[in-house]
Amino acid sequence: MLEQQIVNGLMLGSVYALVAVAFTLAIGVLNFLNFSIPGLFMVAGMLTWFLLRAGMPWPLAAALAIASGGLLSLLVERFTYRLMSRSEHFVPLVTSMAFLILFENLVLIVWGSDLQRVPLPFESVSFKLGPTVVAVPQLVGLACAVLAVALLDLVLRKTRIGRGLRTIAEDAEVAIMLGVGVGRVVPVVFLVGGLFTALSGFLFALNYQQASPFMGEEIALKGISAMVVGGMGNIWGAILGGLLIGIVETFSIHLLGARAVDISVYGLLLAILFVRPTGLLGGAVRQARV
Amino acid sequence: MVLEIRSLSKSFGGLKVIDALSIGVERGERLALIGPNGAGKTTVFNLITGVYPVDAGKILLEGNDITALPSRYRIRRGLARTFQNIRLMAHLTVIENVMIAQYPRAPGAAAMLQPVGFGRANRWRAEARAALAEAGLEAYADEPAGALPYGIQKRVELVRALAAAPRVLLLDEPAAGLNAAETEALHQALEAIARRGVTLVVVEHDMQFVGRLCSRVVVLNFGCKIAECAPRDIHADGKVREAYLGAEEHAA
Amino acid sequence: MSGYLESVLVLLAINIILAYAAFLPMVAGQLNLGVAAFVAIGAYSAGYLSNSFGLHPVPAALMAVAIAALTGWLVAFPILRTRGIYLALATFALNQVVQGTILNLNVVGGASGYPVPAHIGFPVVAAFSLAVIVLVFLAFRTRFGISVTAVSDDERVADLMGLSVRGVQSAAFTAGAALAGLAGALYAHHFNYIEAQNYGVLFSIYIVLYVLLGGTQTVYGPLLGAAVFTLLPELLRGSAAWRYVIFACLIIAIMSLRPQGVILKRAWFSK
Repeated sequence: MLEQQIVNGLMLGSVYALVAVAFTLAIGVLNFLNFSIPGLFMVAGMLTWFLLRAGMPWPLAAALAIASGGLLSLLVERFTYRLMSRSEHFVPLVTSMAFLILFENLVLIVWGSDLQRVPLPFESVSFKLGPTVVAVPQLVGLACAVLAVALLDLVLRKTRIGRGLRTIAEDAEVAIMLGVGVGRVVPVVFLVGGLFTALSGFLFALNYQQASPFMGEEIALKGISAMVVGGMGNIWGAILGGLLIGIVETFSIHLLGARAVDISVYGLLLAILFVRPTGLLGGAVRQARV
Repeated sequence: MVLEIRSLSKSFGGLKVIDALSIGVERGERLALIGPNGAGKTTVFNLITGVYPVDAGKILLEGNDITALPSRYRIRRGLARTFQNIRLMAHLTVIENVMIAQYPRAPGAAAMLQPVGFGRANRWRAEARAALAEAGLEAYADEPAGALPYGIQKRVELVRALAAAPRVLLLDEPAAGLNAAETEALHQALEAIARRGVTLVVVEHDMQFVGRLCSRVVVLNFGCKIAECAPRDIHADGKVREAYLGAEEHAA
Repeated sequence: MSGYLESVLVLLAINIILAYAAFLPMVAGQLNLGVAAFVAIGAYSAGYLSNSFGLHPVPAALMAVAIAALTGWLVAFPILRTRGIYLALATFALNQVVQGTILNLNVVGGASGYPVPAHIGFPVVAAFSLAVIVLVFLAFRTRFGISVTAVSDDERVADLMGLSVRGVQSAAFTAGAALAGLAGALYAHHFNYIEAQNYGVLFSIYIVLYVLLGGTQTVYGPLLGAAVFTLLPELLRGSAAWRYVIFACLIIAIMSLRPQGVILKRAWFSK
């Protein structure tokens, strides 16, 4: 029984991990808490439902849903980070919140507020691993998450774009002086974040067969908790934090009931912020302004 | 002695920045604190005002040990300062910036809730306005401080520090960035302040300025006092020359 | 007065109180994403007091304000040790934890909502709102007003100028919590029904956004923000969702063009 909870927790955690990576990239590189990310998660999830219900083959639906995240993210970039050089440093955060509200309400207008059931486009296969049952789609989801982060890690360490990102993360002004094409590199952060978030939304819709206009608030917002627990700015921390939050949530439901989830997940966030704000893998506390 | 530091020591992460430093300042004196960059002059100010806790040693203000006194209480005891990089509150107007420093003269919750914003006749506002007028800055009273030219901001900082009615005033590079006319005006202003009985401790690089204003100079290097004499004798002191010229040789 | 006009005005009155509840910590440099938590504490405390002890709604509301203020003051101790983004995150986490806790309290209805029959009419709500406006206006003409901005602008120097940074920040946070509690208590007793689901972080975000719309540099900004947020849907017939879409677009536009908000500042104390 315990093992099953852990497995379930890891599966759920992979969803949080991807979202946490998107959050942590924005915080780490751009010092920006991107509140539009839950909106992107929700749009991808809802699109997945809509397209699959319309009978679209699932690889195409996946591609479109994931691409939507990337495109919308670039739109957000245009109105947030692009303007960050202005006087007030809270502008990007505030604007990203406005985008969350925009996306959620647009979806409410188009598709209503009901929780939608996502049709599964293939037979769900699962296998037994000892005493536990593992659903293959969920396992694939977990594998995707880890793979995506490993790829990202490689890009960050080995490519020119990656070095540019890490330079900006160190010191944006120095990066400009060193000739890092900030204008070309910054959109990459948003694009990658958007793609990761949308992938997560797609996987969630598929694995849990549900989507709603509120799934951003209910699911993706916990990615913030995962980000902080794992260590802000650290993408492997995001994976670790995500998996941890997934396990905390699963055990919380199992032991305390479904309604105790928020208390557990956000209580953990609160505790970490008070006791060890750098998180499990984080470095020195950045004097990050809001 | 109105201000005294005894055997003050401070390290940052293993690097000893201030090393068993002792300086005494007499009431009404104008003392200059000079030394090459990195000698620890601003750190001394930061220790005296309580920005950093000391590792060892004592700080005495008018005979009272303030070494462990939290920083926000020190200005109430008559110790005020200005800053090397101007630190005015950008979102407050000039007069509001000055009024901030009036609080230590009448602290407490009741004073916090005093409606000083009403009416021209309010005595605290009137006093702040008069102080600005005396410094020739009344025209800027209602301007947001962040938008003003450097020279004006520096003068406002001085008025602000004086609003606390200090008995000891620490000035961190007050002449930095000023042209000849502004420097002269600053000299006159500080002379007037000193004549009113305020003790001045000035960190400066401008030796001409120091020579005109100050009666005694303390020279620091690597957190230690390496010389102490009258301004005109500085040039003759071998250790001082080595500190400055030696530093120049290393930089070359 | 028609029922429709009255309910709009009541909402305006309550939104004004909410605006100032967010405004006070924001002027102190704290982005309080936990406003909704204190609204909920005020609403549920007041409701519980009038339901279970038969208290008249006005004293119940005042006690709820005290409860919200006390909670705010206690919570401020750990929360105000954080800064900037960590503070925003801590208030966000607090909000979700409080909401989650209330959802589990069956004594006040849990997830099913909580009816509060005792009624407070429009005149009383309006009176409270006006009192809040007057109090805030007065507060920003005292030394406290400039101290709050000073602490937000430069904590280190404010401290060296003799201000108790912790004290000022805590006062701003606690006062914000108290006002939020008042708004909650009034809402509970006017609309006579409250649901914990409404008090998540998104509610806090709406409030923070319309305060920023009006601008945090003057005491008039929150009034404008609350007015725009409340009256916008009435001017454009349409569903609630459309109102938020337009509101969101307005925020994006304002942040692009005039991030300090609509009303810019000259001074807390003018000539």
